[in-house]
Amino acid sequence: MAYPYRHEKETRILSECFGDPSARTVAGWKKHGGYKGIARALEIGRDATIEEVKASGLRGRGGAGFPTGLKWSFMPKNTGRPHYLLCNADESEPGTFKDREIIRWTPHQLIEGCLVGCYAIGAAHCYIYLRGEFFETTQILARALEEAYAEGLVGKDIMGSGVDIDITLHVGAGAYICGEETGLMNSLEGRRGEPRIKPPFPAAVGAFGMPTTINNVETLAATPHIARHGGEWYRQWGTDKSPGTKLFCVSGHVNKPGNYEFPLGFPMMELIEDVCGGMRDGKALKAVIPGGSSVPIMSAEDCRTCTLCYEGVEAAGSMLGCASVIVMDENTDIVKQVRRMAYFYTHESCGQCTPCREGTAWATRILRRIEDGLGTEDDLDTLIQISEQMTGTTICVLSDSLAMPIISSIEKFREDYLALIRRGERVGAA
Amino acid sequence: MSDAPFRNPGWAGNTGEFDLSEDDVRGATYAGERPAEGRHPSTSASYPFMLVERDPYAPLFEGPHRERYEKIRSRYPTAMAALLPALNLAQELRGHISPETMDEVASLLGLSSAYVRGVATFYTMYNKRPVGRFLIQVCTNISCNICGADEVLAAFLEHTRTELGDTSDDGNFTVVEAECLAACGFPTCVQINERYFEDVSVGDVPDILERLTDELAAD
Repeated sequence: MAYPYRHEKETRILSECFGDPSARTVAGWKKHGGYKGIARALEIGRDATIEEVKASGLRGRGGAGFPTGLKWSFMPKNTGRPHYLLCNADESEPGTFKDREIIRWTPHQLIEGCLVGCYAIGAAHCYIYLRGEFFETTQILARALEEAYAEGLVGKDIMGSGVDIDITLHVGAGAYICGEETGLMNSLEGRRGEPRIKPPFPAAVGAFGMPTTINNVETLAATPHIARHGGEWYRQWGTDKSPGTKLFCVSGHVNKPGNYEFPLGFPMMELIEDVCGGMRDGKALKAVIPGGSSVPIMSAEDCRTCTLCYEGVEAAGSMLGCASVIVMDENTDIVKQVRRMAYFYTHESCGQCTPCREGTAWATRILRRIEDGLGTEDDLDTLIQISEQMTGTTICVLSDSLAMPIISSIEKFREDYLALIRRGERVGAA
Repeated sequence: MSDAPFRNPGWAGNTGEFDLSEDDVRGATYAGERPAEGRHPSTSASYPFMLVERDPYAPLFEGPHRERYEKIRSRYPTAMAALLPALNLAQELRGHISPETMDEVASLLGLSSAYVRGVATFYTMYNKRPVGRFLIQVCTNISCNICGADEVLAAFLEHTRTELGDTSDDGNFTVVEAECLAACGFPTCVQINERYFEDVSVGDVPDILERLTDELAAD
C-alpha cells in the first residue's frame, strides 16, 4: 500500500513526494522539477518574482492568511542594510503536522522556497527556526542543506547568478510562543521568546533590528512552484479569495487521519466522510476544530455545508487557521478537551501581559472545577467574562486563542457543561 | 487507540501494511552520522541535544565542540544569538543545564549569569535537573488526548514504576507530559530523547520500553 496520505481526489503539488525517500536528495528532487523555480526567479528578477507571487494570491499558511506577495512587497528597497528572511518551522499549534511532513520528505522543497523568498526580498541570509523537538526532521534538513551548499545551490553566487544567499538552521528549545513571529525573532536573537509590540512591524525593524520577513514553511514551499509556473497557474485551484492548494491535517476520530492536499474550498464533510474514511467505529460527528486549537469550535451542524477556504470557514463561524482539522465524535468530553487546551495555553503563556497570564490560569482552574462536578452555572458567565477580557487586550493573540474555544464551546455545547454541573449538584459534590 | 483500524507508518519499526522501512520514515541513513566538530557552519547548530550518552561534568566548548561552537557563532551578527545553540550544545554533552553550566555559557558569550538563567528557564526543553537516560515525553494535547493519550501516559508510568517527572531507580527512565509534538495524525505521539514514536497505544508501551532497555545493553 502506498503512503497513507494519498487519495485519488487529491491535487498533489506540495505533497507529491511524501512517502518517497528518494526525493530527499538534490538529484531526487531535481527529477521532480526541483530548483527550476529559483532558476526562473533569478531569470525574471526580483520585482517580477514578487509580482508572480502577488498574482498567485498565495496567502500565508501559518494561520493568519496574509497575502504573501503583499508581505514581501513591504520590504524596503536599497537600504544598504542586511535583510533577513525567517522561515517559521516552529510548528506547534495543536492539531497541525504539515510542516514536519514537508521538511522530512521534501527538504529541498523548503530550501528552494527559502531561496525564492530571500531573492525576492533582497535578503542574503535566511534562518530556518525549527522547533527543538524536531530532532530527526532537522537531521534530514541539515543533510539536504549541506548537499545544496556542495552543489552551489546555496551560498555564494548561487547557480552562477552572482546572488549570494546563505541559509542557517536555528533550533529552538520548546516554547509554543516562539511560533509567533515577533516571539520567534526574540528567540532567534537569544532572548526569551516574548512577543514584541507592533508597530514597528518586522519589515521595518525585525530580526537584529533589520528589515525582516517571516513566512511559514508551507508558504515558502509553495513559492518555487509559483515562481516556476507563474501566478495564474496557481490560481487554477482554489477560490477567488483563497487560491491554490493547501495541506489539510486531519486528526482525531476518523478512520484515516493524515495530511491531504486539496484546492482550497474543498467541502469539509467530503474530507471527513470520503477522504478520511469516515468516523471511527461508525460513531456520529460531534464537533470539529477546523484550524488548530486556537480557533472557535464548530458543531456538527456548522460543518454540513462548510467549505475549507478562508472565507468558507469564516462564514461557518470559525477560522481556517492552518487547516488543522481536529475531528471529535459523539463520545468526546468537550469540557475536558477545552480544559486541556486551556492548560496548554496556561503552560505556554509567556507571562508578559496580565490578561493572558492570569486569564489562562484562572480559566483552567474554573474549567477543572466544572469537570470535577464542582462548578455552578455562574462559572460559565465568569468564563465568558474572563474570555472577553482576554480578547484584543494583549501584545500577541495567544490569549485570544484560548478565549475563542472557550466562548464557542459554551455557546455550542452549553448542555455538556450543564450536564457536568447538574451531575455534581445531584451527588452533592457542590 | 489500539483497536484503530488504520495506523499511519509513524510508529517506527511497525510500518504495518506500508511499503516503508523504519529508516525510510526516520531518514536516518540519509541524514548519516554527524561529526562532533560540525560539518558545514549552516547546520552546525542543529544537532540533537537529548541523548543517552552524557556526562554532567563533561568539559564544555573544548576540542571539536569548540570548533563547532565557533562555526555556529560565525552565522550570527551578535554573540547573544548564539545563546540557544550554546545551551543546546551544553545539554547535548551534559544532559541537563545546571546553574554552573549557565554560568559557563554566560562567560563564554559575555552575558550575565542572571540573563542566561532568565532565558534558559523560559524554554521547556532545557532540563534544569538530571533526567533518566531516556526522557519519555508523552503528548497529551487535544488530538492525542481524544485518542487515548492519558491512558498511554498512565501505561508508561506504570511500566517504568515512576511518578510523573521522577526518574526510575535504575536511572533509565523519566516520564513527563508534553505539549503538542506536531504529529497529531499519529496519536499518541511520544518523544523519547531525540526520536519520535508514533501511533503508540497502551499495548505498545512494554515493547517500546524493552527496545530501549535492549539498546542500552547493546552499548
